[in-house]
Amino acid sequence: MGDTLSWLIAGPFMYLAVIVFVAATLKKVITIASMPRHLRWDLYPIAHEGPAGSAFQKVEFWKQPRHISLAHELAEMAEEILLLKRTFLYNRKMWNFSYPMHAGFYLIIGWIGLVKFGAIMELIGGLKISGASTVFWAQALNVVTVIAGAVGLVLGLYGCLGLLWMRYTDEDLKDYSSPITFLNLYLLIALFGIGLAAWLIEDPSFVLARGYAVSLYTFKPITLPPMMTLEVLLFGIFLIYLPFSRMLHFAAKYFFYHNIMWDDEPLVAGGSLEKMIGGYLHYKAQWAAPHLKSGDSWLEQATANPAKPKEDGK
Amino acid sequence: MKHKVSHKDIAKQAEILCPLAVTDLDKVPGYEEKPFKPVKPDWKEKYDFSLDGFSALALTPPATKEAEEELVNKFLRGLEKLFSQESNWTFMQPTSLSTDYCVRCNTCNEACPIYVESGRQDIYRPNYRSELLRKIYQRYFTTEGRLLGGFVGADVELNWRTIYRLAELTYRCTICRRCAATCPVGVDNALMNRELRKLFSQELGIAAEGVHKSGSMRHLQTGSSTGMTPAAFLDTIEFIEDDIEERIGRRIKIPIDKKGADILLIHNAGEYVSWPENPAAFAILLDAAGIDWTLSSESMGYEGVNYGTWYDDFQFARVAVAQVQAAKKLGVRRIVVGECGHATKAIVEIADRVCVGDLAIPREGCLPLLEQIVTSGAIKFDPSKNNFPITLHDPCNMVRLMGIVSPQRNVLKAITPPGCFREMPNAGVMNYCCGGGSGFAVMNSLNFPEWRNNVASRMKANQVLEAFKDCLDPSIPKYYCAPCSNCKGAARDSLMEHYGFRDKYNIIYGGLVELMVNAMVDVEKPFISWEDEF
Repeated sequence: MGDTLSWLIAGPFMYLAVIVFVAATLKKVITIASMPRHLRWDLYPIAHEGPAGSAFQKVEFWKQPRHISLAHELAEMAEEILLLKRTFLYNRKMWNFSYPMHAGFYLIIGWIGLVKFGAIMELIGGLKISGASTVFWAQALNVVTVIAGAVGLVLGLYGCLGLLWMRYTDEDLKDYSSPITFLNLYLLIALFGIGLAAWLIEDPSFVLARGYAVSLYTFKPITLPPMMTLEVLLFGIFLIYLPFSRMLHFAAKYFFYHNIMWDDEPLVAGGSLEKMIGGYLHYKAQWAAPHLKSGDSWLEQATANPAKPKEDGK
Repeated sequence: MKHKVSHKDIAKQAEILCPLAVTDLDKVPGYEEKPFKPVKPDWKEKYDFSLDGFSALALTPPATKEAEEELVNKFLRGLEKLFSQESNWTFMQPTSLSTDYCVRCNTCNEACPIYVESGRQDIYRPNYRSELLRKIYQRYFTTEGRLLGGFVGADVELNWRTIYRLAELTYRCTICRRCAATCPVGVDNALMNRELRKLFSQELGIAAEGVHKSGSMRHLQTGSSTGMTPAAFLDTIEFIEDDIEERIGRRIKIPIDKKGADILLIHNAGEYVSWPENPAAFAILLDAAGIDWTLSSESMGYEGVNYGTWYDDFQFARVAVAQVQAAKKLGVRRIVVGECGHATKAIVEIADRVCVGDLAIPREGCLPLLEQIVTSGAIKFDPSKNNFPITLHDPCNMVRLMGIVSPQRNVLKAITPPGCFREMPNAGVMNYCCGGGSGFAVMNSLNFPEWRNNVASRMKANQVLEAFKDCLDPSIPKYYCAPCSNCKGAARDSLMEHYGFRDKYNIIYGGLVELMVNAMVDVEKPFISWEDEF
């Protein structure tokens, strides 16, 4: 029974979890991306404008070539993604825990990549990745994998516990923490905590993890020890839940920055943006206030004048 | 004292949810606090003051249960439309994202001058009102909210008190977007505030009198939010020409309705009424620099404001389209907006995706043009004529929301002697709102001005004092430069009148162009005077 359950979790359930995660995340991202292009709502500084700053600072800015510096944009994104710059600058107390949690995630994502890479190397190279290997790169891969996994789990657990402590003890944060917020944190704590226990007790060199990855690639699921089975179950639940939770902010953040704060694309006559907006102007807006006419198109309403005296003088 | 108010409390029966007192507020050095005036009995009888003891909207509580139900239903219908592509293409994407992905870290809180200066009252947190919106939306429009209720945070009861208090709350935020600039995720609680104002205006017909009835509606009716008709505008221009002659000893003919001019200059019409020296200074500068420019006497062509920016997409679009049409009629090459932050942002930036097709006439703010006048050498300036301490206010709309940071500084550096211009703390894109933003400067109903002056402008008062801390002695004349009409309104009502900076410290306020003209070699008499009433 135990083996069957472990097989079901490690095999079919994990495949299902990955499929749900990918499909639901894609659906969410496509839904956001296909929302109408909004009115400009820039927030400065805009990273890709670089040291030159806003185009609006120049006389007849429309005559100047648009300044887009990919390097500056990438540098700002790197600071924000890798260091959580804004949290560091404006909420240091939270950064002390949020940063370790995020760093833990990044390291675990890297660890998954390393485990998968090791698995592929074992599959195609016929080589065992371990500390006992006589091949240097296999030994190095093993060491890097162990460090990434172990440090990631410790940092993640520390960060999540710290955030949980803050949400319980900080009166202001408590008001903004519904039960689901705590549930999210408990799920992450369990994920990092059980992962840490599984590493320490069952798989200190991640040999089993690599073997498990091989089994998934070859569609020959294996059974796992109890801790690892529990960890895989939690990870599967996490993957399925993630796209439906606010934890998907890692994907939403792209749109917040690139599509809203940094969307300084000017309207060019005859361009695709103008055509797009032209289409929106035919939408029927349904607002019901007295100064609007529900059901009229946006264009009709935007060019109407509800305050204009009527011809009969009323 | 901090008044603890949870989100659920918004619906509860209480005479005043957060009874704000002056003792709650942060201190302004040297200012003797005066207790808030009690609400007049006839106001109290008629209007709802149950949020914080103040009213910006003069809302009358529903008389019957049916009327309350109708109010609740209307609110919900409006909320649904905020998330509809057809009804809200203009801001649906940012609204949806800010609704779904706030991680409730409260980082935004400390960025908000109103929250901080109020003694950190819960109801003024930038995310308090948007969290209410999220909770209500979850409860009524999401599966998890309907099924799991309070477990997912959908725990706010919707009754007339919730709706009225929420409506009032939307007019306790200046939409300066300082909170958004600090959000690690990118959530924009200021936008959420504007979206709520929009819901109230576009669905329930609720908006502050100063921005709607005597704001954008009067603008559309008479051609100006001030009520100034084209005929009155022409009279004002004549008066300004006389004033210029008196000030500089020669008459300038201000060009009106000049077909095919390079520039149509549009001022906030409040300048003509309250600070005519500002359009006068523009006229002197543009004339001296040999620029081909004109004003328009066409209805909507001489008024730069666009109050829809703060609360209503349709009112915004109507005004923007009409302004651009007035420019098209004259056949000018470009529009330049005078010293008004929201007017600049409205027509130059936001309207970029409204004025399509043949309405897409080039538009820009005045600050780069003023910098060009200084750097081109077209006018000779003598910086020693501005030999007094000057600090610069960064209007949120032009600076944080458009990134216009350096032109005004380059101008100041060129027209002042070394050491006279000093930045205030947090200068630039992280500057604080003057307290008059999002319409506050023109909202004067009931006891709202008392709240505005005491709370919304308090941070600016502290910033100005900090900038001038080494020269507060009233024997030293000082100049607070605010290149924005609304910011000047806030300076007049709050800094000068309420906090008494003029009398106590000899600080006066004005725009950038006045300083420029004051430094012109060709202008003999000082254009700026500490004796005249600005």
